[in-house]
Amino acid sequence: MKEIPRKGFKALFVRSVLQIVRRPLYWVGFFLLPLFFFLFLTNLMQQGLPSQVPAAIVDKDGTSLSRQITQNLSSMQMVDLTEACDSYTQARQDMQAGKIFGFFLIPENFQADLLAGRKPVITFYTNMTYYVPASLLFKTFKATALYAKAGVAVSVLETAGVDADASSLMMPVNISARPLGNPWLNYAVYLCNSFVPCVLQLMIFLVTCFSLGQEIKYGSSRRLLDMADGSIVKALAAKLLPQTIIWIVIVIFMESWLFRWNHYPMHGSWWWLTLSEVMFVLASQGMGVFFFGLLPNLRLSLSVSALIGILSFSIAAFSFPAESMYPAVGIFSWILPIRYNFLIYIDQALNGIPVYYSRIWFAAYIVFMLLPFTMLWNIKRAMKRPVYAP
Amino acid sequence: MWKNLRSQFKALYEGYVEEFRYVLHDGGIVLFFCFLPLAYPIIYSLIYNPEVVRDVRMVVVDHDRTPKSRELVRNLDACQEVWITGYAADLGEARRAMDSHDCYGILEIPEGFQRKIGRGEQSPAVMYCDMSLLLRYRGFLVAATNVAQEMGSEILASKIDETLPIAATISTGDPLPIDNISLGNIENGFDSFIMPGVIVLILHQCIILASGMAGGGRREHPLRMGVDPRKPECHLGARMIAEMLCYITILIPPTLFLLHYVPLMFAFPMAGNILEIFTFIMPMMLACLGLGFCFQGIVWERESVFLLWVVTSVAFLFLSGLTWPRYAMSPFWHFVSGLVPATWGVEGFIKMNTNGSTLSQVSPEYIRLWILAAVYLAAGYCVRRWWVMPAVRQRASAILRQQSQSEG
Repeated sequence: MKEIPRKGFKALFVRSVLQIVRRPLYWVGFFLLPLFFFLFLTNLMQQGLPSQVPAAIVDKDGTSLSRQITQNLSSMQMVDLTEACDSYTQARQDMQAGKIFGFFLIPENFQADLLAGRKPVITFYTNMTYYVPASLLFKTFKATALYAKAGVAVSVLETAGVDADASSLMMPVNISARPLGNPWLNYAVYLCNSFVPCVLQLMIFLVTCFSLGQEIKYGSSRRLLDMADGSIVKALAAKLLPQTIIWIVIVIFMESWLFRWNHYPMHGSWWWLTLSEVMFVLASQGMGVFFFGLLPNLRLSLSVSALIGILSFSIAAFSFPAESMYPAVGIFSWILPIRYNFLIYIDQALNGIPVYYSRIWFAAYIVFMLLPFTMLWNIKRAMKRPVYAP
Repeated sequence: MWKNLRSQFKALYEGYVEEFRYVLHDGGIVLFFCFLPLAYPIIYSLIYNPEVVRDVRMVVVDHDRTPKSRELVRNLDACQEVWITGYAADLGEARRAMDSHDCYGILEIPEGFQRKIGRGEQSPAVMYCDMSLLLRYRGFLVAATNVAQEMGSEILASKIDETLPIAATISTGDPLPIDNISLGNIENGFDSFIMPGVIVLILHQCIILASGMAGGGRREHPLRMGVDPRKPECHLGARMIAEMLCYITILIPPTLFLLHYVPLMFAFPMAGNILEIFTFIMPMMLACLGLGFCFQGIVWERESVFLLWVVTSVAFLFLSGLTWPRYAMSPFWHFVSGLVPATWGVEGFIKMNTNGSTLSQVSPEYIRLWILAAVYLAAGYCVRRWWVMPAVRQRASAILRQQSQSEG
């Protein structure tokens, strides 16, 4: 590679930019993969909720009442009655083959038992192996069963001469839920806002370690140090600044992509959110450099980055709350930059509360930015004597 | 003919032994085969092992302050999902508690709550939920529905007793009991839901990453990996079969651990037959090896596999339909997800392991896996034959030239 025969920060900066431009692998890491994920995750869940869950009804009664329940069920928005099964066994087999996610069972002699007061039992089965569709199905089945019950109770009371109002009869206490910030229960809002930045964190870790490790692997680190007059701070700063600029552009694009073009809830101040995203980039880079300082070897630092980066999707508690994990596990959620990005997003975008409540999380970013300074000595040592161990 | 066959077998055997030597001497690949399948599922399962979300904090704003409103609060607190941490004087105070992350829900009971029940009207209460995590919201919703229903049937029964003694003789208690049963993942646990899929994904990624890294290594140090341009080219087909056999041999213990012992350790549902599961997962491993051979076409350097492939795990997790079901995907993504071996592997494994399906019930997935295996292995052969090997041999001769120059 042709080097620019000069020293100093500017020369180093140009060198780093050229390294990025000349290697298609960096384009993939910086642009192709992150942009693909922005598009992929938001587009995949565009519908918001996977409605029309395939389900079946097993009507062993076959009377006017059971048919009415079937009609009620099939008119529900969330369910798509694709199969009509004659028996429990058949429905179970359909479920095992993945054709349906649950079924509703009306027993034999349902109408007769009901009118005679023998209390037939309506049973519904949901395949909880698939969490999201099964939960939606559960809700719909339960509502249908409750409506059926209300109809029965009203007719019983009416035969006894009581003028009954079905809603107050069935639900004397009605607790209505108000999902704040995301009243549509949109699954994409919930998942993309955490997963998309987490993809970015992973890529930042990897690219940072990869670019630093390359210098050691190909023995160019000594030249890097020379060009920086032996100052490791200067060398790292010039090496990473072009990357920082690219990442900041990408993260701001991500912010606009999510909140402006996809119209995800944004109830707070754009400034605070942007500040959070920019600090997130720096914090992730800081963490990446820290990993490299810990293990100044290309493959090992990349392994650690990949491990932590992929575990972040789970341990940063986007879906399972940190306080419900084992304390010894949950505590690790706090050592990840993405955790603070997520918490600030909740406060500033989803809930739009004053920034005062998020102050500690902004401060936490700074800790990550300072982390590399604890490892400078080790990076410098490795750069002076580059050894490539495969 | 016979001689040719014999030489093929010889190449196969030699390749098998040789490949073992390369793999076991490569720390990176050994890490992929040992650390990844052994440590990863344990760490992952530990994260989600508490399975359900219990005792999410909630604050109450009670404008009614009557026995009935207190009963409602008491009943909610008794649910496993909710923990009532205290009362707030007004909505503002409750809101401040929520903003300070001291609670994730607010229950507001309006004035006249008890009076409305007494009058036989529907008595409303409002529950405000933080939507940062859907599991918390779901817990609140389940608790609220159950409590409202229970209190409702109590009130209904007492009302019938008071106003209509004769009705009680017609029907005592609940006229139409409703029963719901969760199948497969019977505890509704989060760990048992996500981990079986993740296990298969780990196996999938471990094969492709290792194969990619081996390819990168061959490209960087062709001489060390046994590519010698001075000798005639060996049988590529036999060589690839040898590599595959070697990988599969090494992968037997990790696969057994992943598919059998991890579910055993963490008490995931295990309704399947392990032999059938192994039979099922075989074509997925072959398809992964094929994909790995194709992947070698773009890996120029051992370490670039991290940059290029690690993040795909996230895409494959979503494409497998574990979180976002496949029927709800747009036709394009539905098609793309069908091209990933992990999609069918995850789907089939979940069905067999969690829902107790037999191999014949997952035959659509099984057949698709074999088709994918055939396609990817053929594609992998083409990539190796016309794209990778020429480049590797060229590089090997370049290195040889350099060496002879420096010696001369």
